Amino acid sequence: MLYLEPRRETTVWTSVRSIMLALVITTVISVLVMLAMSDRPADAIWQLLTFPWQGRRMEVQLGLVAQQAAYLATIAIGLSVGFRANVWNIGAEGQFALGSVGAYAGYLLLGSPESLWALPLILIAGMIGGCLWAMIPAVLRIKFNTNELLTSLMLVYVASHILTYLCIGPWKGDPKAGQAETYPLAKSVRPTDLISGTELHYGLIILLVAFLILAGFLLFTLLGYRLRVAQHTPRAERFAGFSPNNTIWLSFIVSGAMAGLAGAVYMTAETGKLIQAENYLENFGFAAIVIAFLGRLHPVGILLAALMISYINVGASYIQASLGVDDSIADLIEVVALFAFLGTAMLDQYRVRRSVARPRPVIQP
Amino acid sequence: MSEPTPLIETRRVSKRFGDVIANQAIDLAVYPSQIHALLGENGAGKSTLMKIICGLQQPDEGELLWQGAAVEIRNPKIARAMGIGMVHQHFALFEGLSVAENIAFSIDGAIQGRALEKQILNLAERFGLAVEPSKLVFELSAGERQRIEILRALLLTPKLLILDEPTSVLTPQEAEQLFNTMRKLAAEGHGIVFISHKLKEVQSVCDAATILRAGQVVGSCDPRESSPESMAELMLGSRNITAQREQRTVGETRFEVAGLTLSQADHTLQVESLALAAGEVFGVAGVAGNGQELLFAALSGEVTCADHQCIKIDGIAAGNNGPNLRRQLNAMFVPEERLGHAAVPFMNLIDNTLLTNIANVSINRKGLVNRKRLQELAAEITTAFDVKHGGLNRAAKNLSGGNLQKFVVGREIIKRPGILIINQPTWGVDALSAAKIRQALLKLANSGSAILVISQDLDELLEISDRLAVLHHGRLGRARDINDWTIEALGLAMTGSEQAA
Repeated sequence: MLYLEPRRETTVWTSVRSIMLALVITTVISVLVMLAMSDRPADAIWQLLTFPWQGRRMEVQLGLVAQQAAYLATIAIGLSVGFRANVWNIGAEGQFALGSVGAYAGYLLLGSPESLWALPLILIAGMIGGCLWAMIPAVLRIKFNTNELLTSLMLVYVASHILTYLCIGPWKGDPKAGQAETYPLAKSVRPTDLISGTELHYGLIILLVAFLILAGFLLFTLLGYRLRVAQHTPRAERFAGFSPNNTIWLSFIVSGAMAGLAGAVYMTAETGKLIQAENYLENFGFAAIVIAFLGRLHPVGILLAALMISYINVGASYIQASLGVDDSIADLIEVVALFAFLGTAMLDQYRVRRSVARPRPVIQP
Repeated sequence: MSEPTPLIETRRVSKRFGDVIANQAIDLAVYPSQIHALLGENGAGKSTLMKIICGLQQPDEGELLWQGAAVEIRNPKIARAMGIGMVHQHFALFEGLSVAENIAFSIDGAIQGRALEKQILNLAERFGLAVEPSKLVFELSAGERQRIEILRALLLTPKLLILDEPTSVLTPQEAEQLFNTMRKLAAEGHGIVFISHKLKEVQSVCDAATILRAGQVVGSCDPRESSPESMAELMLGSRNITAQREQRTVGETRFEVAGLTLSQADHTLQVESLALAAGEVFGVAGVAGNGQELLFAALSGEVTCADHQCIKIDGIAAGNNGPNLRRQLNAMFVPEERLGHAAVPFMNLIDNTLLTNIANVSINRKGLVNRKRLQELAAEITTAFDVKHGGLNRAAKNLSGGNLQKFVVGREIIKRPGILIINQPTWGVDALSAAKIRQALLKLANSGSAILVISQDLDELLEISDRLAVLHHGRLGRARDINDWTIEALGLAMTGSEQAA
C-alpha cells in the first residue's frame, strides 16, 4: 500500500518537482487525446507547439497569445488575492462586464474625448464599475454571512443582462447593426496599436503595469503576508491585528477593480463599444479562475499559466484551421492541466511512501 | 438483602502514556440507580478512565467487570452493545440537519421517519427532555443540543450513562433541568457517572463520589454528607502556598480593567475590576473552559469592548483598540494555542516573528517589511531564549512544543513590554523549558513590568504569582495576595462554591 507522509521541510525544489510532474502528466494525457482526435497526430502536436513559426507572421500569432494572456493574468491575479484569504469571488466575469459598462459610462460623462486624460479617466471609471459590482457579494457576506460563491456567481448573469439591456435600451446605437450594440467610442480614446497588423496595443501595457503593481504589493509588502496568515489561521490573523472583515473587503475591492480594469481595456481597445452580452463576453472571468489555481495563486505562476493557456488556445485554433482538429482540444488540455496541478500540489506538503510492515511498538512496563 | 452487583467495576486499572501515568491502580464501582460523581482537577485522569470504560483506550493493567463478569472492551462499539452510553463534553452534531436526522445518523438509521420521531418524543417526555424533532440544530441553544446528545445515548437503551462535564456549557436553569432528567434516569435503574468540577452540583445530585488526583483515587465519599471544603481539599491536595522568592517592590498601576462585560456565542465574561501594578505577577486560576479564552481575547484586543475606558494601559484608555494599538502602548500578549494562534504553523520563524511585530516601526515601514532587521530579530529571540530550531527557515510546526513556546514567549519578552498578558505559559512544555519560561517572566517582573498569567496549572501560579484571582463561569473573582489564599479557599472558588466574601 502507498501512504502519504508529511514533509518536514518544504523547499522551492519540492514545488518545482511537483510542477514538472504536473506538466508531464498533462503532456502525456494531451498526447493520448490527440492520438484519438486526429488522423495526423504527429503533425497536430508539432503544429500546436510551433504554430507561431508556421504560415502567418510570427508576431501576429504571438500577439494573439499576449493579448489573451494579458486579460487572463490581470483578472487572475486579482482573484488570487481573495482565493489566498479564503474569499471565493468567482464572479469576475460579471465584474468584467460592469467594468466595461463603467468605462462606457465614463466615456459618456466625459465632455472632451480629445483630452490626454480621457483614456485614464475611462479606465478608472471601469475599475470603479467592477469594484462596485464586487461590493454586492462583499456586503452580503459581511452583513449577512451569505456564501459569496453563490452570490458572486449569480451576479454574473445579472451583469450580463444589464450589459445587454444597455445595448438594446438606453445606450442603443446604430439600429442597422446586426446585433444590439452602442455607438462606438471616438477614435481618440482608443489605445493605439504597438505594432501595426498585430493585436498588440497600449491597453495591454496598461494591464501589464497593473499586474506588476499588484504583484509587487503581494510579493514585497505586508499585503501578501496578511493574506498568507488569513488563509489558514484566522485566529492568528486577529492576533496579528488584522481584521478578518477588512481582509474580505480588500479581497473584493482588489479583484473587482482588476476585473473591471480588464473589462474597460477590452471595451476601449478590442470592441470600441458595448455589445450584447453573448457577443461580447469571452469567458475571461471564468477562465481566470483556472489560471489563478494553475499558477498556485502566485504572481509568477499566474503569469506563466496565463501565457501557457493562451498559447494552447491560439495554437488550437490554428490547427483547427490547418488540420481540421477541433479546437475543443484546448479546453481539454486546460482541464487536464488543472487536475494535474491541483493533484500534484499535495506533493509540496507530503511525500508518497510505500508502507512496510513495521514492528509493533513494545510497551515497556 | 445481599449487596447489589455493580454495573461497572474497575479493579486496579492502570494506564500510562510514555512517562506520564494517567491512571494508577484505580478501583471504581458504579451501581444501578446510582449517580456517581467523578471529581478531580484537569489532568487528574478522569477522561482516561472514562475512555477505558467506553472502549476508546485499553488499560495497561487491571481488569474491568460488567455486571460482575470480567470483560474486555476492545472498542466503543462493544461498549455500546453492552449498554454503556457516553455524552461527550463537545457535541458532535450536524448543524444543518434536524434533531431527528441527527439522531437517525447515530443509530445508523435503524429507526426512521415517523417511528423515530415518535420514539424521540416518548423518551423525551419520559425523562423531561424537551426537544422538537423537526427543528434544525443550528437554531438550538447549548442546553437543547446537549439534550439531543443525551437522547442519542438513551435510544440505545444504555444501563450506564457517562456525562462528561455536562453542565459546563449550560445555564443554571438548563443545568437544573438536566439534574431532574438524571434523577429520573436513576430512578429507572440506570447508573450514571457524572464528571464535574462544580461541587455544589455534585452535592445536589450525586449519591456517591470518587475523587482522583494525579491518576490515583485519593478518596471517596457521600457528597450529600461531606463538606465542599473537604472535597476540594481532596481534589487539590495539600500544597505549599508560601512564596519562595524575594518580595518584589510593587510600583504604580500599569494596566487597569473596570466594569468589563462581554458575551460571545455561549460565553460571557465579567471583570468588575482588575489592576496590575509594576513589578507584579498576577495569576488567574480556574478550571479549563471557564472563560480563559475570552478573557485573553478581551485583554489582548482581539475582542474589543464597547466602552473605551474599560481598559487602560499606563493610564491611556484602550478599550476600543485592537491588538496592534495596544502593542503600541507597550502591552504584549502570548495566547494559549501555540500553533494556529500564537504562530502560523506552516510559516517559518522569520515570518512568525513578523506576526506580533506589525506595529514595530523598525520592521514595518509603511507596509514595506525590513526583512534584514526581521531576520536579525528572529535570530536574537532564538539565541536569547535558547530556542533549538535547526534553521530560521524551518516552519513553526516542525519545532518541539517547548522550543516553540520559548519562541512565542521570547518574541514578546525581547520587546521589554510594560505589560505582558500570557495564557497558559507552560502548557504541554517539557520541565526544563517550563522552568526557563517562568524564570524569564519573573525577571521581566523584577524589571518593573506588570504581568498577568492565566493558567490552569495551580502549582505554577502558586510559584510565580504575587496576587491571584479565580475565573469561574466567565466571572473573575476577587483578587487576594497569594499569602492570603488557602488551598481550601482556592478549591472552593475554582469549583464555584465560594461564599460571597
